[in-house]
Amino acid sequence: MIEIVAVSTGLSEDSTTTRLAQRMLASTEGAFAARGAEVTTTHINVRTLAKALVDLTVSGFPARELEEAFAAVKRASAVITVAPVYKAAPAGIHTLFWQLIDDASLAGTPVLLGGTGGTPRHSLAAESTLRPMIAYLKGYALPTSVFAATDDWGGGEQAGLDRRITQATDELAELALALNPAAVGTQQDTVAEAASGARLTGTSATGAPQAEGSAVEASATDSDAYARDIPYAGPAEESGRSAITPRGLGDRAREERGRDEFDPASVTPFSALLGG
Amino acid sequence: MEFGIFTIGDVTTDPTNGTTPTEAERIKATVTIAKHAEEAGLDVFATGQHHNPPFVAPANPPVLLANIAAQTERIQLSTATTLITTTDPVRIAEDYSYLQHLAGGRVDLTMGRGNTGPVYPWFGKDIRQGIPLAVENYNLLYRLWREKNLDWDGNFRAPLNSFTVTPWPLDEVPPFVWHGSIRSPEIAEQAAYYGDGFFHNNIFWPTSHTARMVNLYRQRYEYYGHGRADQAFVGLGGQVFMDKDSQEAKRRFRPYFDNAPVYGHGPSMEDFTEQTPLTVGSPQEVIERYAGFRDWAGDYQRQLFLVDHAGLPLKTVLEQIDMLGEQVVPELRKEFAAGRPADIPDAPTHEWLVARQRDGSAPVPGGAPGSRAHEDRLAAEEAERAKADPGTA
Repeated sequence: MIEIVAVSTGLSEDSTTTRLAQRMLASTEGAFAARGAEVTTTHINVRTLAKALVDLTVSGFPARELEEAFAAVKRASAVITVAPVYKAAPAGIHTLFWQLIDDASLAGTPVLLGGTGGTPRHSLAAESTLRPMIAYLKGYALPTSVFAATDDWGGGEQAGLDRRITQATDELAELALALNPAAVGTQQDTVAEAASGARLTGTSATGAPQAEGSAVEASATDSDAYARDIPYAGPAEESGRSAITPRGLGDRAREERGRDEFDPASVTPFSALLGG
Repeated sequence: MEFGIFTIGDVTTDPTNGTTPTEAERIKATVTIAKHAEEAGLDVFATGQHHNPPFVAPANPPVLLANIAAQTERIQLSTATTLITTTDPVRIAEDYSYLQHLAGGRVDLTMGRGNTGPVYPWFGKDIRQGIPLAVENYNLLYRLWREKNLDWDGNFRAPLNSFTVTPWPLDEVPPFVWHGSIRSPEIAEQAAYYGDGFFHNNIFWPTSHTARMVNLYRQRYEYYGHGRADQAFVGLGGQVFMDKDSQEAKRRFRPYFDNAPVYGHGPSMEDFTEQTPLTVGSPQEVIERYAGFRDWAGDYQRQLFLVDHAGLPLKTVLEQIDMLGEQVVPELRKEFAAGRPADIPDAPTHEWLVARQRDGSAPVPGGAPGSRAHEDRLAAEEAERAKADPGTA
């Protein structure tokens, strides 16, 4: 299952930023569906977190709803972020959201940037600020972004907004699928099942030769690292591989982010700290 | 179960009248507060260590605590925290064993890293090394208090050759140590490794987070074989403001909350009280709130309240201490005693530590034979040998 999270800052009731984010989210859903992937979507409006963001900034106080929003971003396989442009920069509370989230929260996650503004002359303003922030958070900002000026909402088909959205969200879906093969592999496939399944493949192959192993399988069977090291080779039916889907960079990064640092079973033993 | 107060010694302007205490007034007030805590029947007074404004009073906990020790009889003196990262462990070892002698053993301390970057270079250290400093320095402190003629070589201070701490700890038993941390699993692990206590100063944190840190420490304490998880030594922070009824307490505390350097201009007092231990209300509300800590922290050993912050005048602070001593703590003692298993230890006193040492049951760092940690270590060594020499496996 692929989870798409949109983080946008719609400041008015009928906000063009919210509208753009919704269209980008719907188009992304369609792009994944066209590629046979099941998705869930979450839409976070930063406006609803404005006070929580300021509280965290001035007094370090983490509000529950903000923690939940950050957790949703960390779970996501693909992220869309859309900001309104104020004075040639994204609105402050939008950048604040990305400034307060934990480091590496976007590791391995493809991120589609979007912006809105009064005139087309603002078109690079949002992304010129956001792109380095996404890079700092170790996300993959797509080269294509979507900007909608006031003109775009009145221009109909000629304005080309829909076409630009479709192009960008297709790219987002392609990259997300490449980075997260385990999340889309088989619908019920969890990351853990994919990993243990991969080990089974390796074991049986060393014991008895398997019939007609593909090149991918053959190169992987000598290593427990099967699940880690091979590149994604497209949907299983086409590549002729088993239904077991290897974990990609995005899958692994999400798994790492999901790790509970306070879990007694996985804490770094003190002897390692003492010796280090 | 111990109840006490801890101070961070902030010099803050009273927002209701614009007066700011001088450093001298604040330091003297801190001594008055500690003496009053003893008179009110509280068990512990603990001071922070800070070197930057607005925290002016407690730059030197051993000096402050020695002064208080001379004017009190019974109250346990502690820190919250002693900076293990930026204070030389040799200095800590000598200062606190000296204090231990002066105070007749009424001393323990809580190790903390400090979280203010600029402080580190003032003492010749680097904040990027925060955790390694805490690890190495405490390991040295632990040994300084237990090994005479110590030879030692490490990364963060000059080597030692045949060094013996002067004075040697009272009755040959070092003060009990708690390790304080808000969000570093390494420190909970460190406390568990040595069989020391773990103090979580949760005053800005939701209980869900604090509970996970406490659980981590408890599980690892058991892993290292120092006792069952529920027997580990846990201390928690908290902060309260009381008046006879809830409405009056809120009315009186709100200007302080809204302007305090640590709270003000951020979340509302209502939001803050909902998600943190801050309780502004009647003594009964405080009792109910804090009695509930057991539900997520288990039976624990020490509860410290912050009462002298945010610019509150001394008179008000002393009233708060009276209310704690007269109305809150006696009830909490009853609540916490009810149903507490007999084999859950109290917070360690000097006498208890002396007895523990005499009967040979002091914790072994990293786990004595028979602990899961010890078994894992043997298995790892065995695997290492087999790898080095496959022939004999």
